[in-house]
Formats: sequence, C-alpha cells, structure tokens
Amino acid sequence: MIRVFGLFLIPAISITLLTGCWSTTELNELALVSAIGIDKNEEGEYVGSFQIINPGSVAGSKSTGQGTASPPVTVYTSTAKNLVGLSRNISAKASRRLYFAHTSVVVIAEELAREEGIKNLLDALDRDPEFRTTTAIIIAKNARARDLIKILTPIDQIPAENVIKMLKTNETMSGENINTKTRQVIDALSTKERDPVITGVELTREAEGGKLESIQQTEPESIIQVGGIALFRNDRLVDWAREKTARGIVFLLNKVKETDISIDWKGNEEAVVYNMIRQHTTVKPVIKNGKPEIDVHVKAEGIIGEVQVAIDLSNPDTLKRIEQEVNKEIQGELSKAIEKAKENKTDIFGFGESFHSTYPEHWKRFEKEWNDTYFSELKANIKVESFIRRTGLRNKPYLKDTN
Amino acid sequence: MPIKIRQKKKRNQKKSQVEKEIRTFNLPDDEISENLKENIERIRKITGNSSDLIIRPLKGNDIVNMTAVYIDGLVDSPTVNKFVVDSVFQNIDPQPEGKKDKQGLFEKIFAEVVSIGEVKQLSNWKDVFLLLMAGNTLLFIDDVPKVMVIDTRGGKKRNVEEPPTEVSIRGPRDGFTESIQTNISLIRRRIQNPNLWVETMKIGNITQTSVSILYLNGIANEKIVNEVRTRLKKIDVDSILESGYIEQLIEDQTLTTFPTLYHTERPDTVAGNVLEGRIAILVDGTPFVLLAPVVFIQFFQAVEDYYSRFDISTSIRFLRVLTFMISLIAPALYIAVTTFHQEMVPTRLIIALAAQREAVPFPAVVEAMLMEVTFEILREAGIRLPKAIGSTVSIVGALVIGQAAVEAGIVSPAMVIIVSITAIASFSTPSYAIAISARLIRFLFMLSAATFGFYGIALLFIFMLVHLCSLRSFGVPYMSPMAPLSLSNLGDTIVRSPFWAFKQRPHLIGNQNNKRQGENQKPGPPASRSLKTKK
Repeated sequence: MIRVFGLFLIPAISITLLTGCWSTTELNELALVSAIGIDKNEEGEYVGSFQIINPGSVAGSKSTGQGTASPPVTVYTSTAKNLVGLSRNISAKASRRLYFAHTSVVVIAEELAREEGIKNLLDALDRDPEFRTTTAIIIAKNARARDLIKILTPIDQIPAENVIKMLKTNETMSGENINTKTRQVIDALSTKERDPVITGVELTREAEGGKLESIQQTEPESIIQVGGIALFRNDRLVDWAREKTARGIVFLLNKVKETDISIDWKGNEEAVVYNMIRQHTTVKPVIKNGKPEIDVHVKAEGIIGEVQVAIDLSNPDTLKRIEQEVNKEIQGELSKAIEKAKENKTDIFGFGESFHSTYPEHWKRFEKEWNDTYFSELKANIKVESFIRRTGLRNKPYLKDTN
Repeated sequence: MPIKIRQKKKRNQKKSQVEKEIRTFNLPDDEISENLKENIERIRKITGNSSDLIIRPLKGNDIVNMTAVYIDGLVDSPTVNKFVVDSVFQNIDPQPEGKKDKQGLFEKIFAEVVSIGEVKQLSNWKDVFLLLMAGNTLLFIDDVPKVMVIDTRGGKKRNVEEPPTEVSIRGPRDGFTESIQTNISLIRRRIQNPNLWVETMKIGNITQTSVSILYLNGIANEKIVNEVRTRLKKIDVDSILESGYIEQLIEDQTLTTFPTLYHTERPDTVAGNVLEGRIAILVDGTPFVLLAPVVFIQFFQAVEDYYSRFDISTSIRFLRVLTFMISLIAPALYIAVTTFHQEMVPTRLIIALAAQREAVPFPAVVEAMLMEVTFEILREAGIRLPKAIGSTVSIVGALVIGQAAVEAGIVSPAMVIIVSITAIASFSTPSYAIAISARLIRFLFMLSAATFGFYGIALLFIFMLVHLCSLRSFGVPYMSPMAPLSLSNLGDTIVRSPFWAFKQRPHLIGNQNNKRQGENQKPGPPASRSLKTKK
C-alpha cells in the first residue's frame, strides 16, 4: 500500500516543481501576428506595425456565421524605444495576447536601415522563444514599413503569406532576389567576413491599399512587388542591386535555381532565350603573389526556351555558339555584381569567410583591412560552363530565312 | 444467503467454524443405504423435491424394485429412454430372490444391460449428488447399498458457430461454445497428439463448475503449469459463472488496466498458443477460453496474421500499433497542440483551427472531454440496446457527435474529427481487452496534456512504459521479447517474419525444447529451370 501511495506521491510532488511548461493559452486568446513592420518616427522612436490575422475572415477557414466581410488582417501600431515595448504597448489596443510563432515576415523601413542600421532590431527577435529566426526579413524600399503591412492582397489573403510566396516564386523563377531569413542576417552581422543582403520590396501606386475595396476589383489599387537586393555594409543599407546585377549576386551565393538568360544573336537584341534549369557555382579562394584572388566556376544546364530568329538548332556548332554567348552573358552579370560589391566595399558574397577557412594564416593579415583594401582590389577569375540539354519541342524554327 | 453469512464472519470470528460449514455447502458424506425408499427420500429431501428431478420407478417384475433418477434437461432423453429404461425392461429375465440375487442383478445390469460407455458404481452420497447434478442418471436397486451412475449427460447445447467477437476473413469458422467437452474436443481435433494434456477440476463451492487446464506436455513450462494449477486450486469462491471470474482471481497484478490473460473464442488461436507453450484454461459455461502467460504485443496479433503472407501481416501489425497510439493520444495531442504548442501547427492550419474555435465557449480540454464522454455513452448504449432500437441510437448519435453539435456552437469541427478517428482507431485493435484499457488511459492522457502539454504526454507515456515493463503474467515479463530483449523471438512481435524464419518457440514461455522446425524451410524455385520431364 505504501508503495502504491508512493507511486502517486512522487509524480504529484514533482508536478509542483515542474511548472516551466505552465502556459496554457486557448487559441481564441491569441492574436496570431503574421507580419511585423518597423519604422522610425521624428522623435527617434520605433513605430511598430503588427499585422494580426482575423481567423474568421480568412476564406477557407470556416466562417463563424456572421455575414459581415471584414478584412483578413488587422493592423495595430504602437511606438516605443525598443521592440519589446512595441509589443507591450499593443496590449492597450488589442484584445488578445500577441503570438509571434507564426510571423512570416519582418519588414524594415529603408530609411531606418540606411540611417540607423538594423543591428538593434534583431536582438529582440533572436531572443524571443516564440519568434522564429527562419522568418523572412525584407526592406521596404522607398516606403514606410507600416504602409507595406497595411496592403491587402488578392490571391493569398494574408498579405504576409502573399509576400513570402512572391519572394519564393520570384527567387526560383528569376533568380533575382534571395529570400533572406532573420537567422542569416544575424549570422552575417556577427562576423566581419560577410555582409548581409536583404531583398527589398516596393509598393506600386500607393493608394488606399488598406481597404477591402482595393482588392475587390480585377486590378488591385496597390501591389507589393520585389524591388531588388539591398546591399549592407555592416548593418547599414548602402546600395541597391537590381535585375542582372542582382542575379549576379544570387549566382555568386549559389542560390539560383532557375532563370532565363537572353542573348543577342547577329544584331537581334535578346533574340535567343536560354532557360537555365540547374546550376552550381563554386567559389574558390586562391592566393597568388601574396594577393587574394577568387576563382568562380559556374556550371549551368538549360534548355532553349525561345528563338526569335531562324537558327538551325540541329547543328551542334550553333548550339556551341549559343553556349559561348550564354557563358559571356553570365560572366558579365557576375562581374557586374562583384564590381557593385567592390564599389560599396561590402563583402556580401562571404569571400572573406572562404579565405578565412581556406587560408587561416593569411587571413590574419587580411582581416583588418579586408573590406577597405583587399576585397575592393580582389581579382575575380570567372569561368562559366553552360550546357544545352534540349532545344525544346522543336529543332528548326518555322522561320525560313536561314542565315 | 452465503454473502450475508460471510459478512457476519468478519464481525464474529468465533462462529467461523459453524459458518464455514454452511458456506461451503457440504453435501452428505455418508454411505448409501440399502433401503431404496430411504434413498429416494434422501434425494427428495436434499433437492427440495425440485420439479425437474425425475424419479422413475422401474419395476422389472413385482419383486425387484428399481428406480432411475435423473434431472430433466441435463440428460440426453433418448439415451436415457433407449439405453437405460428400455434395456432394463427388456433384459431382466431371471427372478431374483433374496439379497444376494439382487446384488447379482445389479452386477449383471452393470456389466451386460446398460449399453453406455461410462458407467460407475458408487456408494458415497457426495459423489453421487455431484454426478447427478452434472447430468448422469442414477439407478438404484432395493437392498443394494450401491448406486449405478450412468453417463447420460446431454441436453440442449449451442451449435459450434462462427465466433461473433473474433471474425476473420481467412481461417476456420468454428468457435467455442458453452460446453467444455465440445471446447476441448475442438482443440484436440487440431492437435492430435497424446502430449496434449487436460486436467479438470471443480471450482466454485456452489456452482461446482468444471475448469480444465490444457497444455502440451514437453513444450509448456512445467513451473508455469504448476503455478496455474496452484492459483486455480487456491480459488475458494461460491461461483464461477464465466472465465472472467477466473481471470480476475489468478492474475499477477490487479492494479492495472492492462489485461495479463488473453481470452479468445477461437479454437485455432488457442491451438496456436498452446503450441507455443502457453496454457489454456477452459471454463464450463462460457465460450471464452483464457490463455496464460501472455505478453503485451500479443494483443496486437490477430490469428489471421499467420494465415496471410508475412509482408502483409507485418504491415497490418504496424497499422494496429499505430491505431493503438491514435486511440491513446490523439485527443491529448490535439489539446496539447491547441493550448500549448500553437507554433507546431502549419500557419494555414492554425488559422483554420483558430477560426473554428472562435465560436466555441469551452477550453479545448473541456470540449474534448465532453465529446469523448459522449462517445463512450453512445458506445455503451449501442452494446446494450436491442437491435431494433440500434438504428435510433446511431441516428441520434450522429447528431450528438456531428454537424448538429458543431452548429450549436458547442464543439469545433476539428474536435469531431479527432473524436471520430479516435473511436475508429480504438475499434481496430484486434483485442477488445487492450482497446478498452487504452480508452481508459486516454482520459489520463487528455488531463496531463491539458496541464502540461507535450511534456505531460511524454511524462505519462514514460510512466505507462515503466508500468508495462513492471507487469508480469505468470512470471513472464509483459513486455518480452522486447524487454527483456530476446533477439530470436523478435520475429513475431510487431513484425511477423516468414514461417521459415520461425525457428524457435518463445523462450520465456516454454522452457524446454525451443526448436520448432527443421532446417532449410525456406521455399524456392526448383533446382532445374526446365519443367520438362526427362524421358
């Protein structure tokens, strides 16, 4: 009997000691935050905008029976000197506790990133057990983060989700942006050997994007779109890279999945389109004559996507010429990207990191003046090998004037 | 009556001696008298002259007084008529005179007249009464201080039918009946070997129920056989009406929801288990046969697993363990996820769940408890109700656990799904005994999930595992062959390896003679690929 009693007593006692997990919250006591926007006002305080999901108004989830159409998200704003304060001040306005585990985007205003830097913003995000460091981080280009947070989107009803999907699709389809996670930015900030890059997002037609009517038409009044890659020196935004330069950066980070490369053909501008379907870029640091150099090797594979001039694609020589043109094009993009980074003296590619791990003894010499001297004088040897796997469903174009 | 007396016994120890005598219903232990009338009177008195007691005076002639006594309904009437009454009438020719001749007549009838297999001569009243009540016919002759006991047991029995609680797609269709003789014969027909030993004893002071233990001599562990025998002999209760009485009186551990004896209605299950060295306990009056010792994993094994091929059986066994886990922790997981670990659910799903919960006034745990209890009520009602009302319950039940409950705003649709999957899962475990124990523990899991989330579930799960490991069934560890590990027996646990790999019997159950098949049992294609016969 004593044994049986003891069997129940021991867990009963331990239960009182193990109260660490005691945090029951029903789902209808939580406000799911889908996106956070951070601005700065004239007084130097942070302005936080919290995009909170209204579960009942998101189509697909069962409506509670009330016919009133309310927007799928509600935005609350507050001001404070720090991020925790922002969240706390919301409680004066919102009926539920903010819950950050499902936050998918953090938007930082360009102005804030340029003038003050982002390093003070990330600690709270990193420290909070609820917040995920896999959350995407983006820069609101030429706009307040608050305005971006407010925009309603038509297809994916939750705007944050829409932005995430847009970034991901754009990343795989064009290779002109990268979906940067909070963790990656924190990692880049914590080392001198790499500088962060963050995708920018901009608003077109800054109108009444926060009203339900704006998405109740075939052409929404405001649209969020990808706006290039923001280059950071340490934690400050210094420059933007767009289109081909941006793609060069993504190539060098070996993050391109699919893209299409257009080449000129005998005076016809962008007449042949090479659909790259996979690639692999390796960056190898070398030291020649005591100076750091970098060997970039791109291996690309693709198919012919479009031909606007009459070329006989059944001829292997022609294919070889196309491949060479593609090589040239990619090489150009990579050089542009490297030039851009050198101009801004920001090692966004993490070349420093690879030098450090390959040549630890030389690195001590480079370390102090890496960004200012060595990186900006770095010689890059770019080699591209592209390969045409298929030419699509057609070999000879229907255009007849063969040349 | 006896219960009343027993309560008294606790209050007053001194009277115990007298009371014990009454409680045990001692039958007269003295000898049969010579006087026929006296004997008949005695029977009438002790049976209270019950109306189903048939006393048939058989007067072969005027001098010899013979009387047959039997219980109507327990005997096979045609047998009594043809082989007892008729034979006696036709075969008594000589005119006996005096005591000696009557004695001679008794012997003659015993030896030549009664053409029935089992006939005994007895003189002790106690034995006589026990046999009378078992369906034997008594034949008294005046002036002979003995009684002839003729085996005429019979009467109405249920036919051998397909067991309703354990249906299989493939496999024999016979099931045990309420008659212990039939049941033993069903097993004997499967194991035609003289080493199949049967021991029968009477348990229950009032009911005098036949209980048999059946095992394979040479394969069953003798220590366990002895243990079973001792535990059965120790039973001293008024009645044994079902094998459940025996199960509860001989199990190792009473403070557990897990069954430590297996019960089945299928003779092939019993035969298979006896062949592995287990001991079957058969009880007269019930089709449920007990098997001991058992291990935990056995409750997930259906007899059909051995009839279908091993790959199919193995995957089905995995499925069963999965359904057991679902029936155990599915509602608990739902509670934990929605009240503690909202971060673990994909965003889209948590929005859907949150939207459903907007209208529900109760916390998730109350909601879950409400639905689970409702389901248990429905299940219980469904078992007890006559078939005619059954459909009413299912219609009303669909309202209670279904759309109507959701629309009334009492529960969320997700909860209905969780309760339904739990219900279905709990019925897909082959053994009802383990399913019902899971059903009980499920409520504990729900409570611990409501207080501590996943941590609580993990904690309770560890407790359950520890408890399972501590259980024994007749000394055999409940979790064997996993804990303690026996590699050569792992082939028949959650996996069911092919027959040619079943090289050894379960180690801990049978102790002798572990090898159970010859070498090279693995089948294969013929050595020559050509199917032509050489000329």
